[in-house]
Amino acid sequence: MKVHINDVELDLPQGTSVIDAIFAAGYDVPYFCSQEYMSPVGACRMCLARIGAPRKDREGGWILDEATGEPKIFTFPTMMATCTTQVMEGMVVDTLSEDVKQVQNGMVEFTLINHPLDCPVCDKGGACELQDRSYEYGSGVSRFEFDKRHQEKHHRLSDLITLDRERCIHCKRCVRYFEEVPGDSVLDFIDRGGHTYIGTLDEGLPSNFTGNITDICPVGALLDTTSRFRGRNWEYQHTRTTGMDDASGSAIMVDGRTGRIERVKAALNPDVNKTWIDDGTRFGHEYVDAADRLETPLVRKNGELQPASWEEAAAFVKDRLAGMSGKDVGIALRADATLEEGVAAKALAEALGTGQLDVAPRPAASVIPAQDPAAFADLATSDGILVVGDVTEEVPIADLRIKDAMRGVTPPEMMAHGVPIADLRLKEHPQLKHDILTVAAPYRVDLMKHAGLAVRYPAGGETALFGALTKLAEGGEEGQAAGAGSLDEGERAALGMGVEDATALVERLKAAENAVVVYGGFVLATKVAADAAAAFAKAVQAKVLILGPMADSYGLELLAVGPSHERYAYPEMLSAARALILSNLDPARDPDRRQALKDKDLLVVHDSFLTETAQVADVVLPATTVFEKDGTTVSLEGRFLSVHAAPVDAGESRDFVGLVGALGEAMGQRLEGRSVRSARRVLRKRFELDPAELPPYGVLYRPKARRQARVAIRTREASEGNLLIVPSMLRIEYLDRNPHLRQLSGGARLRLHPDDAAAQALKGGERVTLRVGGVLRRATVAVDAGLTPGVMLLPCLPDQPVGLEQADLSTLARDDAELEVAG
Amino acid sequence: MSAGASQDLATQPITSRRDPRYEVVMYRHVGVEGAHTLDYYRSHGGYEAARKALAEMSPGQVIDEVKASKLRGRGGAGFPTGVKWSFMPPVDGRQRLLVVNADESEPGSFKDRYIMEDDPHQLIEGMIIGCYAIQATKGMIYIRGEYVKGYERLVGAIREARDAGILGRDALGTGIEVDITVHRGAGAYICGEETALMNSLEGLRGNPRLKPPFPAQAGVYGLPTTINNVTTMTSVVHIITRGAAWFASMGTDDSKGTKLYQISGPVKRPGVYELPMGATFRELIYDLAGGPKEAAKGFFPGGSSTPPLPWTDDNLDLPMTYDAMAKAGSMLGTGGVIVIPKEKDIVSAMYNVVRFYAHESCGKCTPCREGIATWLPKMYQKLLAGLGTREDLTLMEEMVRNTRGTAFCPLADACAMPVQASFTWFRDEYEYLVDNGQPMYTKNDWWDA
Repeated sequence: MKVHINDVELDLPQGTSVIDAIFAAGYDVPYFCSQEYMSPVGACRMCLARIGAPRKDREGGWILDEATGEPKIFTFPTMMATCTTQVMEGMVVDTLSEDVKQVQNGMVEFTLINHPLDCPVCDKGGACELQDRSYEYGSGVSRFEFDKRHQEKHHRLSDLITLDRERCIHCKRCVRYFEEVPGDSVLDFIDRGGHTYIGTLDEGLPSNFTGNITDICPVGALLDTTSRFRGRNWEYQHTRTTGMDDASGSAIMVDGRTGRIERVKAALNPDVNKTWIDDGTRFGHEYVDAADRLETPLVRKNGELQPASWEEAAAFVKDRLAGMSGKDVGIALRADATLEEGVAAKALAEALGTGQLDVAPRPAASVIPAQDPAAFADLATSDGILVVGDVTEEVPIADLRIKDAMRGVTPPEMMAHGVPIADLRLKEHPQLKHDILTVAAPYRVDLMKHAGLAVRYPAGGETALFGALTKLAEGGEEGQAAGAGSLDEGERAALGMGVEDATALVERLKAAENAVVVYGGFVLATKVAADAAAAFAKAVQAKVLILGPMADSYGLELLAVGPSHERYAYPEMLSAARALILSNLDPARDPDRRQALKDKDLLVVHDSFLTETAQVADVVLPATTVFEKDGTTVSLEGRFLSVHAAPVDAGESRDFVGLVGALGEAMGQRLEGRSVRSARRVLRKRFELDPAELPPYGVLYRPKARRQARVAIRTREASEGNLLIVPSMLRIEYLDRNPHLRQLSGGARLRLHPDDAAAQALKGGERVTLRVGGVLRRATVAVDAGLTPGVMLLPCLPDQPVGLEQADLSTLARDDAELEVAG
Repeated sequence: MSAGASQDLATQPITSRRDPRYEVVMYRHVGVEGAHTLDYYRSHGGYEAARKALAEMSPGQVIDEVKASKLRGRGGAGFPTGVKWSFMPPVDGRQRLLVVNADESEPGSFKDRYIMEDDPHQLIEGMIIGCYAIQATKGMIYIRGEYVKGYERLVGAIREARDAGILGRDALGTGIEVDITVHRGAGAYICGEETALMNSLEGLRGNPRLKPPFPAQAGVYGLPTTINNVTTMTSVVHIITRGAAWFASMGTDDSKGTKLYQISGPVKRPGVYELPMGATFRELIYDLAGGPKEAAKGFFPGGSSTPPLPWTDDNLDLPMTYDAMAKAGSMLGTGGVIVIPKEKDIVSAMYNVVRFYAHESCGKCTPCREGIATWLPKMYQKLLAGLGTREDLTLMEEMVRNTRGTAFCPLADACAMPVQASFTWFRDEYEYLVDNGQPMYTKNDWWDA
């Protein structure tokens, strides 16, 4: 429809809000309560404009202006909130005249009445929407001479977020965010009129996505506690990069100052995370600036680790390696290494003649769907979703995209100014379509509260579950669901739900136009389970979204960074090899292994901290964190994304590319991957795209030719166990150096059913140590009636991935020692 | 009333209680002992109209009759009731609702209260007819929490009605299903605004909603909903009993029927009086309420949200109709007349009014929360403390202008418009106060304790 914004004429689709029309025309109006991806409400009254439109008479023709013969423009009697008004054919919008300016001026004045003059001490200063709008639309003088209302300042809303109630301008973005985005309604207005304030009913904010409210709060009312008073917004250097906390590929903005990272915010990627990130990604940066960060290489001389230069350390390694054959050497990287680091590792392995190269954690099954891969866009528009696992912890952004699908509103079209400011299709108090979602897990997971069907199956029962579902999907006449008769008793038990529910689920997925099956670590733990899941997806013609364990699991697998044979894999190489180069891995958490590692001919540890393994190493090389690298990562969607280094003062830390560069020089060889540039030459050739020129939202990589199936590795069968290692939004290995997340979580939690807790005489809150699969774990006991008796839960580590393990209860001990190492 | 040729008296509309053709119908049982019981109601012709509507008319015919009567909603907005009922979408299987707004929190309004206390069955009968007309099987009464006696009487009456088969799956033996529940409010004037009322019914904060969608399209729980005032429903009973023509024989061209007016302030007999629309203020204030007990300088025509008018013969002779009030620069509202005595300082009186709106502001939107609820009362406090200046008066006028038409819902206007009228008609008192530091007349101080 044709719309006139001041002197600009636009043609816009029906349903566009007037405020978006205004911005599309290149003009602007102030607003506080509208927010991209959230419902428009018209509460702040800043966006008011003078609007008129032609009207039709009873016969359906335009009422004409007698003087001009054109359709007469009827001006609405009052100024209209442009965020909640739809464009109409022939609408005329005036945002420039004096009376509009006067209203804008008046609204600024009203908004500032009770707002404290905190700017000098407020973290939001310089990036504050109220400051900016007051400057642009206000009069610069306050005529309010009375006492402002007084409310609680620096209220601890949660361990992560500080609320200053006086600064709140009641835009309601935070309240609406919680209700509409994660669907955790944990915040609301309390009291009314001028006394209204923001508060909760629960203790803290029970949600994995609380930090986003600090991004969207237009003023300094809701603030990130980890960065409180750490700097002025104009002092920060902003680095847009990709979050490497999980496999989602979320866009983040890293704010740093004086060589430190002070804050991580969400950045926009409409195809992946929109403008949201999870709390683990946001608040888990404090470890980067921990006091005990390694700054220089260390070499063991006379039994002691002494500081050394990179050249010295590299020469030491080269000397020790002399005389060793390929099969004596093992190299392993953590699965959030960049593709460039992967190229470097492969080059080093080739130079050393070893096939013992691996990435950890690496599940038993491939993280790349063999057919019909789903992207987040598919998930967000799906009409039939089956989730197996705890997606809210494993890849939290997937949880939000699932809720997009349940809300039933397709992603908005981008406009000239970007994401629409006021999408009128979004309403407050959305009714979710719960029916489209089924969530299956061995314990109660958060997403179950929104699912139309929640299924509890026994831990380790993924293969049987998918097997039984596939039977239902395939059997019967002409592809109809087989029905109860085709399943035996064991298969029925494996379903974890009644046969009617299972049949309905299968029917729903088959009938869906865009069905998606989502699964992660529990299913990938064994190849049979993963194959069963893929078979089921095929049987119901669903796309597959696989949640790999770490940020670049997909990319490193695509690059074929792996062993030449199963027995050369990690952690098997730890016993076989005489010399090990380990990057960001800590196998010495297992005390038996620690002893064995001490005895190796050469142990090189590349890490940011002096871990258990580093402590017994011969050479320790300081590693950059994921915030300090330039590189490329491939998310679980198969999306190539750039990683950009933030300016952090990390001494002489290097990434694995830098390590290989140093080692190559010592060996006198020009290895591929000795530099990011040289590594990218390899990537360019291999993937036919330029990692140095990736667009900001990344590139979904879908190779034309089907990739060769790689060597089946880890035919580990479904194990028995009494403890399930579960995914966690938190990086347990860094938790002790992330004090705010540590405070929030109380440390890694060992969750037990009340019966199990009673059997071990354990109470919630107690600190314990326990050997799980050999690895010594430290945890805080939590009693949880949502579990199944006989199976405890403990969050994962890179060296202890998701899956069923055996915990040796005879090693359970109360832990009085001061914690040095978390988890 | 047309000028010129002589009128046949029988066809002239009834616009005065003095007209021998006029009969009080809605309020006749109020004040009678035991009038709230089913026995009393039935012995006085009760539920005959409902039976007639359900058994002998179709829903469409009921709507047509109410349209023909030209009944306008009695809650203050004055929207034609028959037209509002016809906004309901076609029956599509979803639950349909009739909600009765018994929140009655407008200062100066108390007509609904006595109907609910003393004649609850009249409301129930009106709701049965209304539910039938819009084909809703459920009616919900939202009654302000403070009306405890009204609540108890309503609940008692509903129980009687259910026991007697008047409400339920087979209402009055006609096979139509109608039932009614009562919900109590919790002390918020804003919950008398229909969309905030719906939010409150749903258990949400009593903040108003965006319109569109309108309640008929998406009301309580997103279901098709019609919301009417208490005495709109009671009017329907008599329209069905005596016919649309009877109803339309009372009142003026734009304001038809019989209506409950209220009067409070220093008059000899304050209270509720049923009058044909078109009756004058003079008739209400002098003939019925016995006239003011002391000299008066102004009056609110229809509740504190309506701009007050000065006490002049011209104004007193105005008919109490929607159009006449609009022409006079005010509104009829609920017809709750409040008399302003001369000896009471207008600034103090207006501060009393402003305090009410400040307290009741829901806080959703900026101009009301900051302007009406924060700044305006503080300005009045400054004036009444003797510290005001002429510049303050200009500032107040500007501030109030900025809240007109800019807020999310009409509550801000409901405060701003009377304040503006007080400046129009009584600016001399404001100026006296700022110039002398003392009010021209006595001020209120009962809240300073």
